[in-house]
Amino acid sequence: MSLEHRAPSRSTLSCHGAADAIASADAPVVALAGTPNAGKSTLFNALTGLRVTTGNWPGTTVEVSRGVWRTPRESASGEIALIDLPGAYSLDPMSPDEELTRNLLVSVPRAEAPDVVVVTVDAAHLARSLYLVAQVRESGLRVVVALTMVDVARNQGLDVDAGELAAALGCPVVAIDPRRRRGIDELTGAVLQQVAQPPASPRALPETTDELELADDRFAWIDAAVQRATSDSGQARVNWSDRIDRVVTAPTLGPLVFLVVMWLVFQITTTVAAPLQDALDTFFSGPVSDAVSGGLTSVGLGETWVHGLLVDGLIAGVGMVLTFAPLMALMFVLLALLEDSGYLARAAVVTDRMMRSIGLPGKAFLPLVVGFGCNVPAISATRILGDARQRLLTVLLVPFTSCSARLTVYVMVGTVFFGRAAGTVVFAMYLVSILFVVLVGLVLRKTLWRSMGTEPLVIDLPPYQVPTLRLTAAVAWSRLADFLRRAGGVIVLTVMLVWLFQSIPAQPGAGGFGEVDVEHSAYAVGAKAITPVFEPTGFAAWQTTSALIVGFVAKETVISSWSQTYAVAEPDGSGGGELGARLIQTFHESSGGHPLPAVLALLVFLLAYTPCVATLAAQRREVGLKWTLFGVAVQFTVAYASAVLIFQVGRLFW
Amino acid sequence: MSGPLHQVLDAFEAGVSSKAEIAQRTGLSADVVDASVDHLVRMGRIEARELAMGCPGGGCSSCASGTADGAPGCGASGPSAKRSGPALVTLTLRRR
Repeated sequence: MSLEHRAPSRSTLSCHGAADAIASADAPVVALAGTPNAGKSTLFNALTGLRVTTGNWPGTTVEVSRGVWRTPRESASGEIALIDLPGAYSLDPMSPDEELTRNLLVSVPRAEAPDVVVVTVDAAHLARSLYLVAQVRESGLRVVVALTMVDVARNQGLDVDAGELAAALGCPVVAIDPRRRRGIDELTGAVLQQVAQPPASPRALPETTDELELADDRFAWIDAAVQRATSDSGQARVNWSDRIDRVVTAPTLGPLVFLVVMWLVFQITTTVAAPLQDALDTFFSGPVSDAVSGGLTSVGLGETWVHGLLVDGLIAGVGMVLTFAPLMALMFVLLALLEDSGYLARAAVVTDRMMRSIGLPGKAFLPLVVGFGCNVPAISATRILGDARQRLLTVLLVPFTSCSARLTVYVMVGTVFFGRAAGTVVFAMYLVSILFVVLVGLVLRKTLWRSMGTEPLVIDLPPYQVPTLRLTAAVAWSRLADFLRRAGGVIVLTVMLVWLFQSIPAQPGAGGFGEVDVEHSAYAVGAKAITPVFEPTGFAAWQTTSALIVGFVAKETVISSWSQTYAVAEPDGSGGGELGARLIQTFHESSGGHPLPAVLALLVFLLAYTPCVATLAAQRREVGLKWTLFGVAVQFTVAYASAVLIFQVGRLFW
Repeated sequence: MSGPLHQVLDAFEAGVSSKAEIAQRTGLSADVVDASVDHLVRMGRIEARELAMGCPGGGCSSCASGTADGAPGCGASGPSAKRSGPALVTLTLRRR
């Protein structure tokens, strides 16, 4: 394979261009090389005009263009055959494009190699572009550097001195702007001058075959060239993005900004979505329930178990979960906006710094961040951790990250008990979640895995951008769709099971199936058996403990089971307001007159105990049954101890 | 004195958390640090992974980290050139 245009192989280049795209036989051959996006193709078009052929290089799928570069100062014919090589960062190929570039420059016999290689170098990314120059300079070929993007570099406060760069690289450097045809004549002159003289002596390489040592030697050469040729006006790289980053990733200010941003998200979510949520609640408990009740009565099923299943079960339970759809949608949109703008990546820096400061593996924050969306994929994401002990520790910590399913319960309870401060309560739950991750992580590290090493990790921040409507809407919708799918799947199933157990009489004489008072049903009697355990937490009422048991399946079912329980117990009093009033009454009674500490204890218990069966299944898959059970024990211990502490201390003041 | 690549690797070992910190610690320009890190990723000395802030239930195609053909960017090896939005990239030393 060669690019010698006089050789027969050259004619096999499939072309669909003009006939005058073939240079005369005695024309020198110049290859145009450079990293992708360094302006190589723009320069090629500026030099050749329309005299171009394009096609796959024989035997490859790589497209190569060639054309005629007509020069005012002649070679014999006044023409140069110009080949536009595929974009390549280096001559150590990692793609077919780079492989072809290497083959055509250095793998061919010297007689078939190009007479001159013009390497386009991006002045705004000088170091990145110079690696190829270093390697071509080592090959002994004649090299001319075409310096592009000089204006872009200048806008960044970076001036590149072409003369100094030429001295450092040992080859001519011509600053060009192919779009405005600036520097083309100088480039032509430099190329023709090179053609007329023998190649410069190649850049010397150290006597080693070690890949890293060779690359490091090139980078030392590049660094010296960059230092010599560039002058920083002081504004370099300090653009608006950097200025924002200085604040949002600062060690002290960064976490504060993050907390304020997240507080705003929850505040906006709970405030703006509240009227929509109320409207949906009224809709489900009013027209929908009435219509179904009316329909059932008209076919003679008005006071039967079918009415209980449909109205008190599915509509009350699933309907209540669905009222959270606007709230979830709004929060997903806000989080998608933060994510799409690039801010959440900065928040990750803050989180990572905190993880490291307490000696936890920095890399573990990746799955933990995912866990705030959903714990199940977060547990799968722990596979990125190389160390088995780090992986196990992270799998055990993921359930303490507060997933979006738990958010629905926080919002409902927060709204009922704290009114307009619900957003702040939700925000506090996320802080508690982070606190649990840190404390449990520290305890496990100090007890089980004292010798765990840390894995160095660097975060590469993406640039900020204006969020795009399409992406924001797509991300928000897909997360909302997931919420709705859960409402239509596992939550429907759970609601039906709850209804079933609420319909089964626990003792003889309590009534028939579907007619039993819920307090004497298998559901309530079962819950009452474990309720005394929760006496020290202030929420020891069977209505609450039964919801916590059901919450094992999925956290949204805590709401649906409450809704079902109170709808069955108080058939006339359906509706969110009534449900709220019943909840307040229950907590008032169970806490001995200290409902707020009891509610906070419940929220923290909800946060810390096992998130859902899907998470358990994922944990078992990743770390086995023994560690999964250990994790469940840790979660319950933390949940129970925290709830008791909060209630017992809280009731002294509240 | 070791070259930029060794200096960057040493900075990773020392526990820096951002490229800006690497530049501060080594005295290298941001441009040389960027190029060095990219090269070390290319050489397989450093591993680059993308991460979105949470997985959308609809799958990778709706995610900022997802590629146009629906493949995952999050947790996938190497930054995806086709990603449709800004995504966090984490860089870690590969143990050899």
